[in-house]
Amino acid sequence: MKKPSKISLLVSVTVIFFVIFYYSLKANNKNNPNIMLNKPLPAIELTSLVNTNLKQELPLINRDKYYLINIWSSWCVPCREEHSILMKLKDKIKIYGINYKDKKTNATAFLNKLGNPFYFTGSDKDGSISIEIGAYGIPETYVVNSQGLIIFKHVGPLNKKIYLRISEIIK
Amino acid sequence: MISNLGAVLLIVSFLTTCSTLFLYIKNNIIQKSSIYLQFFLFYKVSFYLILFSFFVLIACFAISDFSIISVYENSHTDKPLFYKISAAWGNHEGSMLLFILVISLYGILFLLNSKNINDSLRACTIFFQSIIQLIFLSFLIFTSNPFSKIFPVPVQGLGLNPILQDPLLAIHPPFLYLGYVGFSLVFSLLLAALILKQYNSRWASIAKKWIMLPWSFLSFGIGLGSFWAYYELGWGGYWFWDPVENASLMPWIASTALIHSIVVMEKLKKLFAWTAILTILTFILSLFGTFLVRSGVLNSVHAFANDPERGVYILFIITIITLGSLIIYILKFPKESVNNNRFALFSRDFSILLNNYFLIFILTVVIVGTTYPILLSVFTGETISVGPQYYNTILAPFIFIFLILMAIGPLMKWNGNSPILMKQKIFSFFIVSVFLTILISLYLSGYNFIFLLGVLCSVYLIVSVFHEIVMNKKIFFTKHNFSRLFSHLGFGLLILAITLNHFFSKEINAKLHLGESFFKQGIKINFLKSESSKEKNFEELFGIYKITKDNKTFILKPSVRKYKQPQQFTSETSIQRDGLSDVYIAMDYAGDPSMGMGVRFYYNYFIRLIWISFALITIGGIASFVRRGNEKTI
Amino acid sequence: MRNIFLIILFVFFIPAQLAMASAEREINIYKNIRCLVCQGQSLNDSNSDFAVDLKKVIKKKIINKETDKEIYKYLTERYGDWILFDPPLKKKTLLLWALPLITLIGGLFILGKRLVFHLKQ
Repeated sequence: MKKPSKISLLVSVTVIFFVIFYYSLKANNKNNPNIMLNKPLPAIELTSLVNTNLKQELPLINRDKYYLINIWSSWCVPCREEHSILMKLKDKIKIYGINYKDKKTNATAFLNKLGNPFYFTGSDKDGSISIEIGAYGIPETYVVNSQGLIIFKHVGPLNKKIYLRISEIIK
Repeated sequence: MISNLGAVLLIVSFLTTCSTLFLYIKNNIIQKSSIYLQFFLFYKVSFYLILFSFFVLIACFAISDFSIISVYENSHTDKPLFYKISAAWGNHEGSMLLFILVISLYGILFLLNSKNINDSLRACTIFFQSIIQLIFLSFLIFTSNPFSKIFPVPVQGLGLNPILQDPLLAIHPPFLYLGYVGFSLVFSLLLAALILKQYNSRWASIAKKWIMLPWSFLSFGIGLGSFWAYYELGWGGYWFWDPVENASLMPWIASTALIHSIVVMEKLKKLFAWTAILTILTFILSLFGTFLVRSGVLNSVHAFANDPERGVYILFIITIITLGSLIIYILKFPKESVNNNRFALFSRDFSILLNNYFLIFILTVVIVGTTYPILLSVFTGETISVGPQYYNTILAPFIFIFLILMAIGPLMKWNGNSPILMKQKIFSFFIVSVFLTILISLYLSGYNFIFLLGVLCSVYLIVSVFHEIVMNKKIFFTKHNFSRLFSHLGFGLLILAITLNHFFSKEINAKLHLGESFFKQGIKINFLKSESSKEKNFEELFGIYKITKDNKTFILKPSVRKYKQPQQFTSETSIQRDGLSDVYIAMDYAGDPSMGMGVRFYYNYFIRLIWISFALITIGGIASFVRRGNEKTI
Repeated sequence: MRNIFLIILFVFFIPAQLAMASAEREINIYKNIRCLVCQGQSLNDSNSDFAVDLKKVIKKKIINKETDKEIYKYLTERYGDWILFDPPLKKKTLLLWALPLITLIGGLFILGKRLVFHLKQ
């Protein structure tokens, strides 16, 4: 191979590597929260926080609307931050809350103080329900459609941007 | 304030380096020796400026000057002085300054140790070294200035992470840098030789020590990191094929191939191309490792300052250095040298060539395993993990064959040999090794096929080394043989120790209440009592455990620490020696305490032999450059 | 007499062996699963809340006699292949396993050519 062609080959290969690794910096290399997108929500049974005889099964059957699932707890600081957004969403969409590894007294005090955006609040004392639906870091929010498919999932506290996104989805 | 002094020093150093380069380029044609003196002087000045700048940074940390962002983020008045100082290089900006200091230091070391080399080669080497220095200085000053200020000045710092307050962890980065950053010098030396048409076997003779020095530091640094992980992290393991560990292993593998290659180049004037490419590859891999670790593309226990923006700069730096060096190689490589590349099948040089193929294969596996998750996420958006099983499965058979090669290779003569004597040795070593393997197997009742293979191959290498030492007692202490024999012996012992450790270590997880005992696999663990104590920044709860194994008793005192600022729990291991093995225990602090205290117990079989092997490998490396050898004047 | 002896053997030793084997299996599963809220640690090595909870869930599944494959499927359905440390043999990891093989074959090929060249001389 002649020298100029060697050099051009070298330059092209190097530039390709640069571009690939450049994109790797932008790419999401942590856990992909989209793994469950458009997959059915695993079946779970929530026991109400306030009345242990009251149960709720999810996903809902025979519904024609979207609904939200939000995993939260009173000791979680980002949950406090996103609470106002949940209150805003409350009027647009039904929110099912899963109270994660929390004390009933603390959870109810939290809701009394900051408002209750949940249509139903279930309790997940040992974290197994959250694991069943693929959560790993609270707060987490799911948008489920009428066929029981998860069409949106967000890990971490909700913010304005996500609020707008959810509002778009549920129109 | 002195922080301003530090920043000023950096800038002046930057300007001095620029002047150095300018002076070189301007006076390239002039051969006057006085120009060289001036040139070297400028370079020395830039070194001292960087050195003082580094001292200034340390001083700022020592006095807790929180007006500087890096001090604020990484230090705290309650930190012991030693850790305040080590925090100076324990963060991104400070460690980049150390990085540059090492580049400059190697340049100075070269200047001081190259009096017998012609000035034009020296100057050209320093020229390239200055370019590298300048590139990283610009990166430092413009994107990662360690002396950046913050206003208003905070009263207290943020950096009191207890896990980072460990003596071994503190000195680990400097050793690694003296290792892989040190390869910058032989890189510059190569480019200088190519340009000045001095790339030949005499160059190889000079360059050898500038590979051995960083290689020894790197070997030691990797061993130190492994040792620290074992003692501190509490998982009983010493190597996890963690991406950050791999980042330091990659230049190590390439430089090991380079060492062997350059020996052939010096002795037989062959493998010119291999040596050049490996020199460039080693340095590029060092930079690539730096990129992987700092840019945030990797997810590992060693979470360093993850900043994708800086990653782009480092990536760009790697690209231009790669392009520049390879273009020089393509344009200036002496074509005639290739004609010499003839090999006899049963010659030492051919076995070194074979050895290089093996090392490149191993290197490829490590690179693929480390970067595959990154590349996959770029192309498909999906993420996977590549765990230890991938590396162990693929590499084990090759390492076994490699061990045999390491044993047989040195038996052969350069350029060809007398096969009869060699075949006798190969065969007799085999007999002895099989015999020893059977002994070991019976003693330990180990009959697993892979275990036996691992023992056989490593013992084979060890036997061949001992044979050579015994047969050649007189010339054993020539620098060259001592070095190779020690390092090869160390490597053989390392694989033997890893094999023994893998198959005969024991791990027991149990939950014990106070006074309870647990018996499993011939080991009894008895939770005797607990004690608590209070230190300046943490409370400690000790568990006293009695371990009984084979009629031997050990008392271990692991603990859980609760730090106050920031609030954090750590688990401290307790380790006792049992011959070459360790009795090792750590407590779990999570989980329901009413179920008992969780403990993880490990019997780490022959783990101390692993540390001894690392030491032998390093000593072998150091031995090769400590004594002045027969390097020729060019 | 012999039968009684065998029964004693069966009752005491074999469950113990099975218990040891199953405890080892449990640990091996934990070692293969990534703790998602930690940096690079496995479930076995982590004390975080998430790791403890997930271990409980897995332990229940082991007691329910689920196989390793079923447990891993449960986890990857919810968390992606990333949660497993050992890369699975799927279409997307084909290249991961193939690249070393390609390198090996390529190396052997080049080496072979060289050997043939020398043997001819």
